[in-house]
Amino acid sequence: MLRLEGVTKSFGGNKAVDSVSLVVPTGQMVGVIGRSGAGKSTLLRMINRLGDPTTGRILFGDTDVTALRGRPLRAWRARCAMIFQQFNLAGRLDVLTNVMMGRLSYVGTLPALLNLWSEHDRAIALSSLDQFDMAGLAAQRADTLSGGQQQRVAIARALVQEPDMILADEPIASLDPRNTRMVMDALQRINKQFGITVICNLHSLDTARAYCDRLIGMAQGRVVFDDVPQALTDEVARGLYGLDAGEIMDTAGTALPAPAAPYQPSLAVA
Amino acid sequence: MAKTLAILPSAQLAPLADAYRAAMAVKRRWTIGGLVLLAVFTFLSAWAGQVDLVKFWAGLPRFASYFHDIVPRLRFETFAADMVEWFWNFDGWLALLWDTLLVAYVGTLAGALAGFVLCFLASANLTKSTPVRFIARRSLEFCRTFPEIVFALMFVYAFGFGPMPGVLAIAIHTAGALGKQFSEVVENVDMHPVEGLTASGANYVEAIRFGVVPQVLSNFVSYSLLRFEINVRGATVLGFVGAGGIGKELISSIRQFYYADVSAILVIIIGTVFLIDWLTEMLRHRLLGIVGDAR
Amino acid sequence: MSKPAGKIRGLGEADRSEMRRRYPQAFRAPVVERCLSLAIVVGGAALAIYTLWRFGFSPAKFVDGLDKLGIVVVLMMPPDPGSQLWHYASALAETLAIAFLGTLGAAILALPMSMLAAKNVVANRILHFASRRFLDTIRGVDTLIWALIWINVVGLGPFAGILAIMTSDFGSFGKLFSEAIEASDRKPVDGVLSAGGSEVHSFRFGILPQVMPVLMSQVLYYFESNTRSATIIGIVGAGGIGLYLANEIAQAEWQRVAFIILMILVTVSVIDWVSSRLRLAMIGRRAGATA
Ligand SMILES: Nc1ncnc2c1ncn2[C@@H]1O[C@H](COP(=O)(O)OP(=O)(O)O)[C@@H](O)[C@H]1O
Ligand SMILES: [Mg+2]
Repeated sequence: MLRLEGVTKSFGGNKAVDSVSLVVPTGQMVGVIGRSGAGKSTLLRMINRLGDPTTGRILFGDTDVTALRGRPLRAWRARCAMIFQQFNLAGRLDVLTNVMMGRLSYVGTLPALLNLWSEHDRAIALSSLDQFDMAGLAAQRADTLSGGQQQRVAIARALVQEPDMILADEPIASLDPRNTRMVMDALQRINKQFGITVICNLHSLDTARAYCDRLIGMAQGRVVFDDVPQALTDEVARGLYGLDAGEIMDTAGTALPAPAAPYQPSLAVA
Repeated sequence: MAKTLAILPSAQLAPLADAYRAAMAVKRRWTIGGLVLLAVFTFLSAWAGQVDLVKFWAGLPRFASYFHDIVPRLRFETFAADMVEWFWNFDGWLALLWDTLLVAYVGTLAGALAGFVLCFLASANLTKSTPVRFIARRSLEFCRTFPEIVFALMFVYAFGFGPMPGVLAIAIHTAGALGKQFSEVVENVDMHPVEGLTASGANYVEAIRFGVVPQVLSNFVSYSLLRFEINVRGATVLGFVGAGGIGKELISSIRQFYYADVSAILVIIIGTVFLIDWLTEMLRHRLLGIVGDAR
Repeated sequence: MSKPAGKIRGLGEADRSEMRRRYPQAFRAPVVERCLSLAIVVGGAALAIYTLWRFGFSPAKFVDGLDKLGIVVVLMMPPDPGSQLWHYASALAETLAIAFLGTLGAAILALPMSMLAAKNVVANRILHFASRRFLDTIRGVDTLIWALIWINVVGLGPFAGILAIMTSDFGSFGKLFSEAIEASDRKPVDGVLSAGGSEVHSFRFGILPQVMPVLMSQVLYYFESNTRSATIIGIVGAGGIGLYLANEIAQAEWQRVAFIILMILVTVSVIDWVSSRLRLAMIGRRAGATA
C-alpha cells in the first residue's frame, strides 16, 4: 500500500505539487489526469524519488520512502519502475543493454560497469522483450527503433526490475493509436495478471476512463478529484481542463477505440 | 521466481540468446581490434618517445618542488614589501607584455585580412575555376601547417631580431587558419542574393561585397576574435626564438633559475590571458547576440 | 510606374515625421551603427599604425627582409637532406610519438577531470568553479613553457615533450569534455536512475555513450593539431624534428631546412587525411543513427 502524507514540492516560490495526501491500495490501476503543468509528472517523480518532496512523507507499507538513502534508495527505485513519455532509453546502446538497466540494483557495480551480465539476467531480459515481440531486435541500437518499439523496450526494462508498482508518466503521449492501444493493454495486463499497482499520468480522458479503476484529477498541484471513472462527469472534466475539455475528449475519442479483451501475449505464464 | 514475468523455456530462449551473442561478437571483434591497434601504437610511441616511468616517478617530486620554489615567500606582516620585491620589474615586464599583445593584435589583423581575401578564392561556390581554387587552398594549407614559431625562426633570420618577424609569423599562420574557417563559412551561405546580384549585372567583387559579406561578417569577426585569443598565447613564446615580447624574458629567467621572476612573469601572462579571454568572449556574445542568427 | 514613385517622393514633412515616430529604429539605427563601426575601424587602424611605429617598421627594411627571404627560398632548391636523412626520419617518428601519446594521455586524464567540471555530474558550485579556473590556468600557459618545466623533471628529450603536450591539452580537453557532458541529454540518465542504477551507472550508461563520439572526434582533431605543434617542441629541447629544424636554420643549411619542411608537410597531410576519415566515419555513424 502506498501512502502520501501532505506531499509538497516547490520550485522557487512556485508549488508544483501542493499538500497531496493519498492512499493507493496494492493492485489498483490509477489514472492521474489534469492539464499540462498541473504537477502530475512532479508527483510521479517524487514517488520514484527522482525528485525529493519539499515537505511531506511518502510511505510504502511501513517503509518511509522519503528517508531512504544509498543502496536502499536504489532498491526502492527498482521496486517502483518508471515509464516515461520520451522513453528515456540510452539511444546509442543496444536494446538488451537498455533492458539490463532494470537489473542494475540486483547486480554488483563493477560487472555492470563493464557491461558483463549473468546468463540468468540475460535470460530474464530476453524473456521480457519476447513478451512484446522485441527479442529479435535485442542487438539493435535503441535509437534506430520507432517510438512504439522504444516504449515496449522501456516496459520490458520496467518488468525485469521485478517491481511492486509501475509509474507511467504519459506513456502514450508520443505514440500513434495502434501503439497507444498496445502500451495501455500491456499496462492493464501487468496490473490484472500480477496484481501490480499501476499509476499512470494520462492526457486523454477517454483512455483514462477506459483503463483505470480510479481517477485522480490534479489542478495547480492539488488533488481536486478522486473517485471511480464513472463519477467523472463532463462538468467535473470541464472544471479540470477548462475550455480544453471538449477538445481533449473529442480527439482522444476518435483516435482511440475502447479496449477489446485484454491483450494476451503468446507465452505460458508460470 | 520473478514476480512480473516468466522465463522462456530454454528451447525458445537459446536461439534468441545465440542471435544476440552472434551480433555482439561482430561488434566485439571491432572493439578488440581497435584496442589492439591502440595498444600497438601506444607501445611504439612510448618506445620512440623514450618514455621512462622510473625517471618520471623519480622526477615528480621535482615537479612539485619547482612550483614550490618559484613562488616567493609572502609574509603577512611585510606583504606589500614582498609583493614589490616579487614584481620588482613590473613596469619592464608590462612593456614587454604590451609588445606581445600588439604582436598578437597586428598579426591577427593582417592575417584576418589576408584570409578574408583568400577565402573567397578557396570557396567552391564562388570560385568555379579549379586551378585558382587549388592554389588558394594549398597556400592556405601551407600557411597553417607550420606553427607560427617555425615562420618566426625563418623571419628572424631574414628581418633580424625584434617583434616584426613575430608579427609576420603570426600573420601568416593566422591567414592559413582563418582562411580555411572563413571559406567553410562562405561555402554555407545562402546563394540566392549572389544569384540575384549577378543577374542584375554585378561583377564578382560586387556580388561578394553585397551578396556574401553581409551574411558572413559576424561569423568572420567572431572567428577572428577567437584566433586573437589563441595568438595572444602563441605570442608569449615567440620571444624564445628572438621574435619579441615577454617570451625572451621568460626563457632567460627559466634558464638562469631566477625562480621568483619565472613565477612573476607567469602570473602576469596568465592574468592577461584570462582578461583577454573574458573580453573576447564578451565581445563575441555581444556580436552574435545582436546579429542573432549566427552561430 | 512613375505614379507610385512620385507619390513616395511627394511624402510631406508631416508624413515623414509620422514615419519616424512609428519606425524609430529604421531611421536612427543606421546612423548610430555606422558611427560605431566607423569608430571601430578607425580605432583599429590607429592601433595598428601605432604598433608599426613602436616596432620601428620601415618599408625599406621590410623590402630588404623580403629580399633576403627570396634569396633563402632560392637557396632552398633543391631540397636535400645531405647525410641526415635517417636522423630526420627518426626525429619525425619521435614527433609523431609525442603527438600521439601526449594527446592520448591528456584525453585519458581529462575525462575524470571533466566530470568534476560538469554541472550535471558534480552539482557543487564551488568545485565546479574551482575546477574550471584550474583548467583555464593550465591552458593559459603555452605548450613550450610546459616543455621547459617538464625538462626540469625528466631531462631533455621527447618524454618531456609528451608530458608538455599532455599537460596543456589536459586543460583544453577538460574544458571541451565538460562542455560536451553538460550539453548531453538528461533523459537517459533519468531512465537509468529510475530503474535503480547508481550515479556511476547513470554516467556510464546514460551520458558516456552519448558524448563518446563527440569526445573522440575532438581528440582526433587535437591529434591533428598536435602533430603540428610537436614539430616545434624540439626548439626548447623536448624532442622531435624541431631541434633539427632550428639548428639547420641557425646554420643556414637551407636545402636541409627545405627538406625538413617537405617531410613535415607530407606527414601532416597524411595524418590529417587518416584522422579526418576516422572523424567522418564517426560523425557519419551518428548521423545515420538519428536519421
Ligand atoms: N525542474 C523544475 N524546475 C522548475 N519548475 C518546474 C520543474 N519541473 C516542473 N516545474 C513546474 O512545476 C509545475 C508542474 O509541472 P509538471 O509536474 O511537469 O506538470 P504536468 O506533468 O502535470 O504537466 C509546472 O508549473 C512546471 O513549470
Ligand atoms: Mg508531465
